[in-house]
Amino acid sequence: MTDILQILILGLALGGVIALMGSGLSLVFGVMRIVNLAHPSLIICGAYVSYWAFKLWGLDPIATLPIAALIMAAIGVLLYRLMFESQAKSARYSEMTVLLTFALAMIVEGFLGAAFTNTQRVTSPDYATDAFFIGSLFIPKGQFYAGVVSLAIIGALTLFLNYSRLGYAIRATTQNREAAELLGVNVNLISMVAFAIGIGLAGAAGSLVSFVFSFFPAKQWEWIAMLMSVVVLGGMGSVLGTVVASLLLSVVAAFVGTWVGATWSTMTFFLALFVILLIRPQGLFGEKPELA
Amino acid sequence: MSELLQVTNITAGYGDGPAILDGARLTVEPGKVHCIIGPNGAGKSTLLKAICGMLTIRKGDVVFKGERLNGLRPDQILRKGICFVPQERALFPKMTVRENLRMGGYVLDDTKLRDRRIDEILERFPVLRERADQHAGTMSGGQQQTLAMARTLIVKPDIVMLDEPSLGLAPKVVQEMFDIMKMMSKEGVTVLLVEQNAMMGLKNSDWGVVLDLGRTLFEGPAEAVLADPRIQELYLGGRKVA
Repeated sequence: MTDILQILILGLALGGVIALMGSGLSLVFGVMRIVNLAHPSLIICGAYVSYWAFKLWGLDPIATLPIAALIMAAIGVLLYRLMFESQAKSARYSEMTVLLTFALAMIVEGFLGAAFTNTQRVTSPDYATDAFFIGSLFIPKGQFYAGVVSLAIIGALTLFLNYSRLGYAIRATTQNREAAELLGVNVNLISMVAFAIGIGLAGAAGSLVSFVFSFFPAKQWEWIAMLMSVVVLGGMGSVLGTVVASLLLSVVAAFVGTWVGATWSTMTFFLALFVILLIRPQGLFGEKPELA
Repeated sequence: MSELLQVTNITAGYGDGPAILDGARLTVEPGKVHCIIGPNGAGKSTLLKAICGMLTIRKGDVVFKGERLNGLRPDQILRKGICFVPQERALFPKMTVRENLRMGGYVLDDTKLRDRRIDEILERFPVLRERADQHAGTMSGGQQQTLAMARTLIVKPDIVMLDEPSLGLAPKVVQEMFDIMKMMSKEGVTVLLVEQNAMMGLKNSDWGVVLDLGRTLFEGPAEAVLADPRIQELYLGGRKVA
């Protein structure tokens, strides 16, 4: 019983971080129909910001999270204006964004590799190697903090989307772009803001990831598959779905890792992706594909 | 004549595509229900989209209250007082009725005024009040169309343009929609609608506009248009296929 509880705790803490990693991807798809394959590479950029701030000046990665988020959000604005704005009216927008963001992922990886080499990095504040002990259970502090901060950020995002004027405009644009425009929403501006928020979330996730996982530029390929699994399972574009799917898959992966073998743990995500696409392509919270 | 909106010989189309409208004109008088009719592909919906700023007008003028609207964005035209309800999916299906109404008042900076008007509308439309916290996408077709029309009233527009409000609705429900339009026009909101069913549309309107192949054939009082022999010709054949 203790074993099961222990695995559950580890899975949930990790799931929280994965939820934050995936929520930006989901938001960007929901509002702009951009399948952002470069999302993990941008998470890694955020991770480097916190890594170097810690390494050079001893700054805590949770403290530098807002900085990483802001830097990445600003880069998000630039990327949007450079890559997506001019394509917005293209009939094959979504397909095109897959290719564009794939190219972007390679460029970012190349750039990071040239600047920081392909050495494995991990930010190591004291709590990253410490743990809470409750009876015979232990909770790694790093994963616990990262999970809690992630869920807090997603909670704030949800409140923002549901109650602020800008949040209303973002949700309206997600659900019916034309109607939103006709009611006076500047959909181009809203798209850019939502994209910047999405990339800012990648930056924030990067800060947390920097002390939870070891990372290097090519790590993105492992993450994109994992993140696509949670976003597809949750239902493309649904942030709530992403959170539920992340927690679910992480817990399952934790059990698989313990009972079957660590190498099979990541397989959980890919197998889940495969099965979902076969039996419920719209995911848990997604819209059913239209018949027309 | 005291026209509210005057469209003169406009040319417009989608993107760089061919002109769908070429020589469309229209007169809108305050407080009346206007109905645009014409066969499939005549450019009826395109005309509404050109007026509300979704399409670029290549030639001709759209003049509203003496001011040229050419080149303005949809949100700017909305602020001037022209509200457009597109065909079918005009709502946000995963937002509640109340949230949809809030979006209807997106351009209002005074949120208290907006909330007061939302309450007024819920008061006037019991069918919406009962479902205020229900997702719009779960309502019936008639209820959704009622919401789409009621939502325009939050900004107190001068003109409400409706693209086929009767589409996919049962005949009894269609009559309810026309009753709402008449009520709106009595309260001073001018209605301009596109209708596939010409007979029904004209019977419920004051003014008729007949469009074919992107240009206006003629316009006039609805009864006169209904009785015009050219209507028979247009709908029952007799014109050369271009």
